[in-house]
Amino acid sequence: MIEIKNVTKKYGNKVAVDNVSFNVEDGEIFAFIGHNGAGKTTLIKSMVGIHDFDSGDILIDDMSIKDNPVECKKLMAFVPDNPETYEHMKAIDYINFICDMYDVDTETREKNIKKYSKLFDMEDKLNDTIDSYSHGMKQKIVLISALCHNPRILIMDEPFVGLDPKAVFDIKKVLNEMIKEKKIVFYSTHILDVAEKLCSKVAIIKNGKLIKCGSMKDIKGDKSLEKVFMELEK
Amino acid sequence: MKKLHSLIKACMSNDMSLFKIKTKNRKASVLFPLFLALYLMFIIGTASYGLFKQLSPMNLQYVLLSFFVFGTFIMTLIEGVYKTSSLLFNCKDDLLLLSLPIKRRTVLFIRIFKFYIFELMFNSLFMLPAMIVYVFFMKTLTVTYIITSIIMLLTLPIIPIVISCFIGMITSSISSRFKYKNAIEIIFTMIFLVFIMIISFQMQSITKNIIQNATSINDVITKIYYPSGVYAKLVTNFNIVDLLIYILVNIILSILSIYVLGKFYFKINSRLKKVETSNNVNINDLNIKSKSKTNSLIKKELNTFFKTPVFIINSGFGLIMFMIITFILVFKFDSLIPIITNKENGLGIPKDLIMNNISLLILSITMLTGFMTSITNSVISMEGRNINILKSLPIKVKTILMSKIYACLIITTPILLIGNIILFIKFKISIIESILLLLLVVLIPLVSHFIGILVNLRYPKLDADNATEIVKQSTSSLVSVMLGIIFVVINIAIIYSSINHISSILLLIIEVIVYIIIDIILYLCLINKGVKRFNKLSV
Repeated sequence: MIEIKNVTKKYGNKVAVDNVSFNVEDGEIFAFIGHNGAGKTTLIKSMVGIHDFDSGDILIDDMSIKDNPVECKKLMAFVPDNPETYEHMKAIDYINFICDMYDVDTETREKNIKKYSKLFDMEDKLNDTIDSYSHGMKQKIVLISALCHNPRILIMDEPFVGLDPKAVFDIKKVLNEMIKEKKIVFYSTHILDVAEKLCSKVAIIKNGKLIKCGSMKDIKGDKSLEKVFMELEK
Repeated sequence: MKKLHSLIKACMSNDMSLFKIKTKNRKASVLFPLFLALYLMFIIGTASYGLFKQLSPMNLQYVLLSFFVFGTFIMTLIEGVYKTSSLLFNCKDDLLLLSLPIKRRTVLFIRIFKFYIFELMFNSLFMLPAMIVYVFFMKTLTVTYIITSIIMLLTLPIIPIVISCFIGMITSSISSRFKYKNAIEIIFTMIFLVFIMIISFQMQSITKNIIQNATSINDVITKIYYPSGVYAKLVTNFNIVDLLIYILVNIILSILSIYVLGKFYFKINSRLKKVETSNNVNINDLNIKSKSKTNSLIKKELNTFFKTPVFIINSGFGLIMFMIITFILVFKFDSLIPIITNKENGLGIPKDLIMNNISLLILSITMLTGFMTSITNSVISMEGRNINILKSLPIKVKTILMSKIYACLIITTPILLIGNIILFIKFKISIIESILLLLLVVLIPLVSHFIGILVNLRYPKLDADNATEIVKQSTSSLVSVMLGIIFVVINIAIIYSSINHISSILLLIIEVIVYIIIDIILYLCLINKGVKRFNKLSV
């Protein structure tokens, strides 16, 4: 379970995340939406331990990310909005590197690398250096390395950007599998119709403040998520 | 013109980031490098004064200026050969700049202009003290001296930059045709560097006699290098025509170079961007193996190092120089003895003193190499946006930082060890001294690596356009190099002032103890302050 408790993050005088609180339960796919610069990435980076925050706390399975960053990170995988990798590395070396950081044994990583590289059509390209890849291929490598260590919590920042339709379809399949195993998927997105179909819960952030949070059904009612979002943005 | 101004402003804004630090320690962050720069200028000023005093009786004070002009030329040329290919090609902002409705030559001009501004600042560190010493002690401050000196200062980087840009263009043009572009580029750059070093070494052997043969040396320098002669001439006998010709030569050279280089720039840049891909590889043939976290982090660091030519050239050149010095000592030591011992034309150091303290000579060389080949002053900046990958991984920051240190030790220590062992055998160094020196081979670079990474954590540059900006032009690299120079100078001065009072074994024991203490202090700094600074890094 993820518990966001009164988290505030400032950049100088600007409040990027303002006293935000919500929970994400096991087995939930949680959509985190908001306009550009609303504070989504800042909160996500705080959740995965990239940023420090000024007040409040973030608990991952009752452990504070501030006090036990390494233990919390062991449970999570993070897929950033821009596929950041070590571009001079071969893809297989990068995946191996990430697996080493999560102490994944050889057998498990072999199984998972084969499974996910096949799923994302990257099997025969793993021996190339990442700088030869397109944006979408880099995103696939980030996804494969994130999934290879069987994370209990998958946190993604706009994961569908740059992916081809098949890859989007496949990743949705993977997310549904994770939910069946009572894992947590938390992601930010601008593609509202996908979020509407895929997610059980949603939170909407505006200017750093959480303005709506709840089950998808309760938030949108009879309307579409897009319509609700547009109304809230006014 | 307005377009060019906007472009330069946008491109330079990144480089001026030091002056825009908004932290509460802003003053300290800006003042410390400034203090080091002033300190370095003070040292250079003192050296200039020493030379000035020696030249005064012969009324040849102007030789000081032509000597410094030539010195900065050699330094800028060496710097330039290191940098140009990576400053000009494959920059991060290529996509933006090359897609704008501006001429490709303008893009090239901006890249060279950034390089020029940096070299202008770098040259000023050396030239200004000499210019001030000259005018202060000659007591001849005239308007023409000020004008000539300002024009000199502004134009000095042009010729070495033009030469190094052509060298960079040639090496990149050749390497872009090969599969292993980086390796070819490194080899060619090394060849050029060694070539320049040989020439400058030969010049140094001439300048040893500078005091006795000042006029002839000045003649040689001024004949070899046009600006040296012009400056000396203008200072002693100002002539507006000579000044105008000199300015014109520099302007024409700059325009011509941009024009000629611009013809090939885009082609070479495009060719360098080609990335080789392997043909479909079966997944079962891939190397899928688990490693420990530290081993994996070290492997990543080594991968970054060996895939970044400027990194290899920067530290590799120091290590190559160390091996060259080692072989000179092994095979040519006997012919060096007269130069060292001769009171009139040499250093005038007694032969006994040298022979009884060979181990300290080895220590000094190791120390120089250890501090001059530090890589850690760039390892944090080299992460760039990837710093977020490391920060999101379940590893302790201490492990990340220490793995960077280990990787740097792996790169530098073996060559230092081999060189030292060769010298132990040649000079029949006693076992105790050998053991102490071997300890120092690890302890000294460790200090340099700790200082480098701490400085880099203090002055990170995570938004650089290319590796050269980080390795050769960042505040971090400048500060750590200056700290290294100060550290080495103080240490060597202490050693040589103690030679007559303490035995070399005792001196080595003291060195080992002092370095262990410094290493421990720096390690504690790293795992406390360093970790906190790492956690605060954000992109």
